[in-house]
Amino acid sequence: MVRRLRLVTCNAFILVALACMPTHGHAASNAGEELIGGLAKFALDSGDPAAALRYTHNLPTEEGQLVRARAMIATGSGDRARGLLEQLVAGQYYRGQAALLLADLATGRGEPEIAGNYLETAAELSHGDVRQQALYRLAEIRREAGETDGAGQLLASMEPGYWSALGYMNIAAEYGKRDLNPSRALVALRVALAMTEEDSDSRRREELKSRLLVRAGHLAHKHEDYDKAIRFLEKVPLESYSTPQGLYLHGLALSANGNHRAAMQSWHRARKYPLAYPGVANAWLGTGRGYDLSGYLGQAGEAYLAANASFESERVTLRKLADQIRNKGAYQALVRDARDSNAEWFLADSRTLTQPRTAYLLRFMEKPGAQEAVRRVAELEEIDYQFAQREVGLDVFRRAIRERLGSANASPAHIAGFNDEIEALTARVAALKERAVSVPGQEALRGAAHTLADLKASLGKLEQRLAARDRHLNELLSRTDEALERVRRVRSRAARLQVEAEKTLDEMALAFVEDQDERMTFALERSEQQIAHLYEYLALQNIERGDQ
Amino acid sequence: MIAGTQVIAQVTEPVRRRFGLTVAVAAVLFLTLALLAPGLLADTLDTEIDRLKADVADLSQTLYELEEDVLYPADTQVAVFLTLKDREGLELDTVELYLDDMPVASHLYTERERTSLKRGGVQRLYLGNLPHGAHQLRAVLTARSANERFVRREVTHDFRKRPGESRIQMTLDARAPDFEPVVSFQEWK
Repeated sequence: MVRRLRLVTCNAFILVALACMPTHGHAASNAGEELIGGLAKFALDSGDPAAALRYTHNLPTEEGQLVRARAMIATGSGDRARGLLEQLVAGQYYRGQAALLLADLATGRGEPEIAGNYLETAAELSHGDVRQQALYRLAEIRREAGETDGAGQLLASMEPGYWSALGYMNIAAEYGKRDLNPSRALVALRVALAMTEEDSDSRRREELKSRLLVRAGHLAHKHEDYDKAIRFLEKVPLESYSTPQGLYLHGLALSANGNHRAAMQSWHRARKYPLAYPGVANAWLGTGRGYDLSGYLGQAGEAYLAANASFESERVTLRKLADQIRNKGAYQALVRDARDSNAEWFLADSRTLTQPRTAYLLRFMEKPGAQEAVRRVAELEEIDYQFAQREVGLDVFRRAIRERLGSANASPAHIAGFNDEIEALTARVAALKERAVSVPGQEALRGAAHTLADLKASLGKLEQRLAARDRHLNELLSRTDEALERVRRVRSRAARLQVEAEKTLDEMALAFVEDQDERMTFALERSEQQIAHLYEYLALQNIERGDQ
Repeated sequence: MIAGTQVIAQVTEPVRRRFGLTVAVAAVLFLTLALLAPGLLADTLDTEIDRLKADVADLSQTLYELEEDVLYPADTQVAVFLTLKDREGLELDTVELYLDDMPVASHLYTERERTSLKRGGVQRLYLGNLPHGAHQLRAVLTARSANERFVRREVTHDFRKRPGESRIQMTLDARAPDFEPVVSFQEWK
């Protein structure tokens, strides 16, 4: 009964909303729904969930309801979305997608069992990416519970692509932790590499492939299969986040094979990247070690001294970054400053990996907690930015309405004057119509006649509208005042929450910078130890030579 | 005197024990709170941000209605929409719109927006006011076609603004094998 009532209400709205196209009938109504549904979809996809909610307010289609539920989740109304999604699970077309979103909501509420049930529903009822995502998450639940075989069985039932590759990568990590022999983990990584080839998103595919290759190389190196490690690491692309680590490990495997010269070439390339990335500090130390093993002790000393200077300089950078975080806040120091670099936009991709600030931002953002903290501040800042503009706009409206309220209405004589003008023009058009013979001329006159008829109709309503003008303007003024008040309240709440969110982010960022500083201190101590060993060795050799 | 001291000792012992217990409980509570506090704080903050976002969406609806009433009265309102018919034929880069030779809108597409259009999204390119009568809409599009060609197309559409809301839907199509862009217009009233 409730559903029937809702349908009646929805249909009534569609009739009212699309009243301007009554002649098209049912087909037009469907086309109108399609247009509104498309607008909602675009608004949601382009980051305007509030607009998507507005468009889908009375949209009865299942697709519209799904967009509405997603927009509700994006605007923090997950509880309201749940009802819609449960209806969709019982519906016809979007059962899987709705179940997957319900699983997300249950996970967010800390209800893993319910989430698991919804994931099973999603895997059963959907196809394509939604089904693959659901299966991946079910496999992850099993893997986290220690059931690697069960997780493997689920992954085996998946289609090749991003989700199955991710699943195999995680299962390889699990095997790597448990097994003494690396073969199972390496097989899983090879399968993951094969699966990722089928991912249609090229950027995502390349990034995941790099990570998989580095992991496989690391695993092979750990188990002293250096040739295999080299084969994996040689394939790591040079334009990825994992590249510096891949280069370091590549050098390590080459060095273990006795090829110190080639190893140093890899480490030299890794040293081009900022020290924030994993593997770069070790590559600096590795260069010294490489010279040492090759018997070039002088160059080894120089390389260690260069590493020392580089670590010292990085510690200064980190201290400056910490000061900036304390003074300007982490969002400004890490996110905005990394974004507002002076580099041209077309260099953006190649500069990403070589800018120290961006490197620290990327390293910081590896942690989900950091991502959440930055997301909070970014969202609140965006709310404030949008509503600051709205506040200015509303202020202008208010002034314009007040000015209109103060202005005089058009007099009846004025309106009658317009009417006479329209009459005269209509008569001229009629006279011309009789004279014009060409088709385009007749067409133009017919158009002019239509416009004059429209103007006459509008003028007919003008007196009535003018009578209600002041009441209407006063109503608009009070709505504007009320909206302005609400905008100010929202901005003040957003500002207060932003202070809290920034404080949390600052604490996390400072802890991160401190960790990085400790990492640098450790690297510095290692380089100093190496220098000391080297000098000690040289001194002993000098003594020996003196004795001879 | 000794007996009195023993009585005091008997009385103070349970008090001391209870005090010790209270201190221990307080310490455990403090430690638990200290461990859970960052998580709880973040949860509370997230809940408050969610509440704010819901209010923001509600206020956006109010403001939109108000703006429509103040800025775009139904009688003079004109909206232009863009949709894709063939969803794989073109990668849209930019669109510029001119009404009666006046530039009114331009848009540079992001990857997300392109994907959305390909998935059936409809973009409202322009919302504004026009007086009754004859007008011309001109659109300039730049895109990359599926056969790796960069294309620029300029199309015009003559229309008559009548009383009531006017909606013009611009549909972009580019079919194999030549992926030649074709723009069609449909007017809704």
